[in-house]
Amino acid sequence: MNRVIGAILVCGGAWLARAGDTPASLDHEAPARTFASRQSTLAGALSARIAAAQAGAVIEIGAGVYHEHLRIDKPLTLIGRPGAIIDGAGSGDIVEIAAEGVTFRGFTVRNTGIDLEQENAAIRVLAGRATIEDNVLEDVLFGIDLRSAPDCVVRGNRIGGKALDIARRGDGLRLWRSDRGVIENNVLHDGRDAILWYSSGIKVRGNRSDDCRYGLHLMFSDDVVIEDNTLSGNSVGIYLMYSAGVEITRNRLVRNRGPSGYGIGLKEADRFSVRENLITGNRVGVYLDGSPFTTKQPGVFTRNIFAFNDIGVTFLPSARGNEFTDNNFIDNIDQVAVSGRGALTGNRFWKGERGNFWSDYTGYDRDADGIGDFVHESRTLFESMTERNPEMRLFLFSPAQQAIEFVGRAVPAVRPEAKFEDEVPRMRPVEIGFAKAESGVRSMTLAATAFGLLAIGGGVLRAARKDGGP
Amino acid sequence: MISIEHVTKRFGRGRAVSDVCLDVGTGDSVALWGLNGAGKTTLIRCVLGLISFEGRICVGGHDVGSRGKRARMLIGYVPQELSFYDELRVSEAVVFFSKLKGLGVPALDAVLGGVGLSGHEAKRIRELSGGMKQRLALAIAMLGDPPVLILDEVTASLDACGREEFVSLLAGLSGSGRTMLFASHRVEEVASLAKRVAVLEKGKLERVQSPFEFASALGAGTVVHLVIPAAARERAMAELRAGGLVPTLNGVGVLVGVDAARKAAPFRLLAEAGVPVDDFELLREGGHGTAHGRKEHA
Amino acid sequence: MIAAAIHSGIQVTSGAERVPPGLARNVMTISGRELRDAVRARWFVLYTLAFAGLGLAISLVSATATGGSGLASFGRTTAGMINLVLLVVPLMALTAGAGAIASDRERGMLQYLLAQPVSRLEVLLGKYLGLAGALLSCICLGLGACAGVLAWKGMGTDPAAVLWLAGLSFGLALAMLSCGVLISTLAGRASVAVGTAVFAWLTLVFVSDLGLMAGAMALRMRIEQLFALSVMNPLQVFKMWSLHAADASLDVLGPAGLYATEEYGKWLHALFAGCLLAWIVVPLAAAAVTLSRRSPI
Repeated sequence: MNRVIGAILVCGGAWLARAGDTPASLDHEAPARTFASRQSTLAGALSARIAAAQAGAVIEIGAGVYHEHLRIDKPLTLIGRPGAIIDGAGSGDIVEIAAEGVTFRGFTVRNTGIDLEQENAAIRVLAGRATIEDNVLEDVLFGIDLRSAPDCVVRGNRIGGKALDIARRGDGLRLWRSDRGVIENNVLHDGRDAILWYSSGIKVRGNRSDDCRYGLHLMFSDDVVIEDNTLSGNSVGIYLMYSAGVEITRNRLVRNRGPSGYGIGLKEADRFSVRENLITGNRVGVYLDGSPFTTKQPGVFTRNIFAFNDIGVTFLPSARGNEFTDNNFIDNIDQVAVSGRGALTGNRFWKGERGNFWSDYTGYDRDADGIGDFVHESRTLFESMTERNPEMRLFLFSPAQQAIEFVGRAVPAVRPEAKFEDEVPRMRPVEIGFAKAESGVRSMTLAATAFGLLAIGGGVLRAARKDGGP
Repeated sequence: MISIEHVTKRFGRGRAVSDVCLDVGTGDSVALWGLNGAGKTTLIRCVLGLISFEGRICVGGHDVGSRGKRARMLIGYVPQELSFYDELRVSEAVVFFSKLKGLGVPALDAVLGGVGLSGHEAKRIRELSGGMKQRLALAIAMLGDPPVLILDEVTASLDACGREEFVSLLAGLSGSGRTMLFASHRVEEVASLAKRVAVLEKGKLERVQSPFEFASALGAGTVVHLVIPAAARERAMAELRAGGLVPTLNGVGVLVGVDAARKAAPFRLLAEAGVPVDDFELLREGGHGTAHGRKEHA
Repeated sequence: MIAAAIHSGIQVTSGAERVPPGLARNVMTISGRELRDAVRARWFVLYTLAFAGLGLAISLVSATATGGSGLASFGRTTAGMINLVLLVVPLMALTAGAGAIASDRERGMLQYLLAQPVSRLEVLLGKYLGLAGALLSCICLGLGACAGVLAWKGMGTDPAAVLWLAGLSFGLALAMLSCGVLISTLAGRASVAVGTAVFAWLTLVFVSDLGLMAGAMALRMRIEQLFALSVMNPLQVFKMWSLHAADASLDVLGPAGLYATEEYGKWLHALFAGCLLAWIVVPLAAAAVTLSRRSPI
């Protein structure tokens, strides 16, 4: 039934296309003999099908490039077959969903306009209960933009931004006053932000964001669950502002190194927990500014790995009431820093018998209970120097730094105040279910590298000795 | 073969070599004779291009200043004392210098055998005696059979026996059209090796003589160095004075000046008095006080 | 008869005058001997053992500290290695270079060598290359052993970073060797040369950095001035370059590093290469001039 309608529409479309003299249409001289799924570049073909469809209909669209701007104003299910491409030809929005209960699945949507004022989007959703699934969005200013669209599902989409500099890009994903949605298994790259505005009760799960500005940004959005996402190479991984009741669990926050470069930033956030995240290679692992905002509930940080960040955790003086237990602090250049001059009073790095693992702990464990016999105190002269004069970090890793540390230990007069204490430091890292990275392959190449270097060194020796023989 | 034209070498305000002109033809053999500081070694260093100087020196037509490598290619050089990497084996040293002279790997047996070092290939240089080192240096100098041989007081650090051996080795080389220039302070070396003697005084080339002229000019000024056991020295002094000679004590014995024709006189005197003489040496005396030259350092 | 025996050992090309070997051949001959001498020397063995031993200690400690989590991007290992290289390699190269000419001159070997058909430049380059070979061997053995331990412990250290570190260490070694050789040609005595080399090491490793730190804080130096001054120090160049190679940015070094990355961008490698190259070429050239002017006695 649908196919018949499609064929008729295609014939009409072909005639229209000729009249409009679209150059691309010249390649397809005999539209009448072509089946709909083969057809392409038919202006208005999809719109016509939508117009002709009844509410609740399922429309399958075959392969082809459709230069169209769609508006879906009735509850339809649109399914793009492989190769179904909707091209916005570089202007305006492309798909607008204006009715509740629309499903839009399987399309490639590409080439929006670049007007930031108009917020040109690939898919704009203006009504609730939409399902946007398995689409590929390419070369788009805004990707999926939900405006007052509650109960939507955005799942399995791949959203690629335009090759513009960051100031001229749009958000890959934006929710505006759209509660109770599910954002799942999407991949975003080269966009500006994935951002939630005034949208509560959202589940953000299993998404991936690379090379964007904010991997995930919450503004005034409460009771959000953020789980199993991978946010890497963004300017900032996750940034919570003015949001409460957020659970951040099992995410990977890797190498987010923009100008601020936080793995997780928390500004005036409240009732939050941060558990079992892998936070590595960021400029700042966790950045705490005025969080928790109220003192109703402490900020919970447990079983996270803070590794190889420039700074593990940065506290602004306004951040009080956080508890860090059972975290691994591994080789962050600065494990914990206080921005500006201030102490870490009001934040705790141990609770009862639960402390953290510190890779720079120098004590030992004579009674073998897994807890170091001495308090872990952080006080290094160089660190306190660089916190006051950040440009001194230029001398990091140099023997001069060692010399300064040595002076700091040897001369009590210049020894800085201890920044914080952990009375029950762990001797061994907490085992956290994260994969052992991809070290297998690397170990082999590393072994090969080792062998190569040894071979060069040994070869030179051999040559030298052999040449000398009588 | 070697032409030295108006060579002057200044050290600070002083002149170590002053306007020396000397031509050494092919097959000629010239001894440089003079006191310590007369400029013998300095002149040799100039010829080797080791130090800068005013004037011009050519070896085989190559200016040692601008074409030093070509010039040194024609020269075999034996220093006063071979100082080279102590840890190197004899064979390694020979191979090394052979490569530097653009030769292939030499037949070690022949090279070392010629100077009596067969069987010492595997020894390290530090294990060699002074005489062996000098013979190694000679073997190295002779690599590639260079037309010019330059020797700088090569026997100065050898004992009497080693010296004699070495000089005879050199005497064997001096024929066959080879050009030699050597510094020495030993009459017997000059007599057996030189065809001409260039006498240097205070950096100036005073005269060039035949060995015969040289020896007779030197006649009046011979000094005999007698090695005498410590206990007998005072007695020897007394006996020599009684015999009309003028002895002076030195570290291991007595120096006494004699007429060239009466060199045996002190021996006779001492033998008659029963004073033991362990060893002796003939030294030259210049016009300016005592000159004893067991080891003359430049 | 003896003469005949000597002559027979050598094939004499009679008549035509032989041409002395070219620069390259003589340099190879001399460098081969120098290398052989160096790797037999006590200093080489001691430095190599110290370098490899400390490097292994760092590798093992960092492998334990990360608890075998297999995570490693930029961490204690690389930082520790950089630190180790900064301490050991310049000292080794400077003292090796300082011994090269001065002690030979003192013992009369230089004079004897130069009395052969070789030029002074050949002697200098030969010695330089020979010692460079010894240093290369030391660096490769040390870092190779460390990489082996890291691989065995399953650390995710980036092999490329290890190779970069090895290459840059060698670059640093060459620069320091040049300085050492220059010191050697200038110094009158071997002991003076070695003393000066140790002093130069102290200056480059500690004094200049600490002085720059103090100066920057006291004079409120601008970041670009601070960066420009620190690039003068080859050790800093080595450090920044290895960090850049391991991390593709310098922002780990704070505002000054950020400034460098933003200001120079892709040219940063060229800047570092230029600085290091200048530290290799200029002292060596100065040493060549000094050697050609000075008497070898």
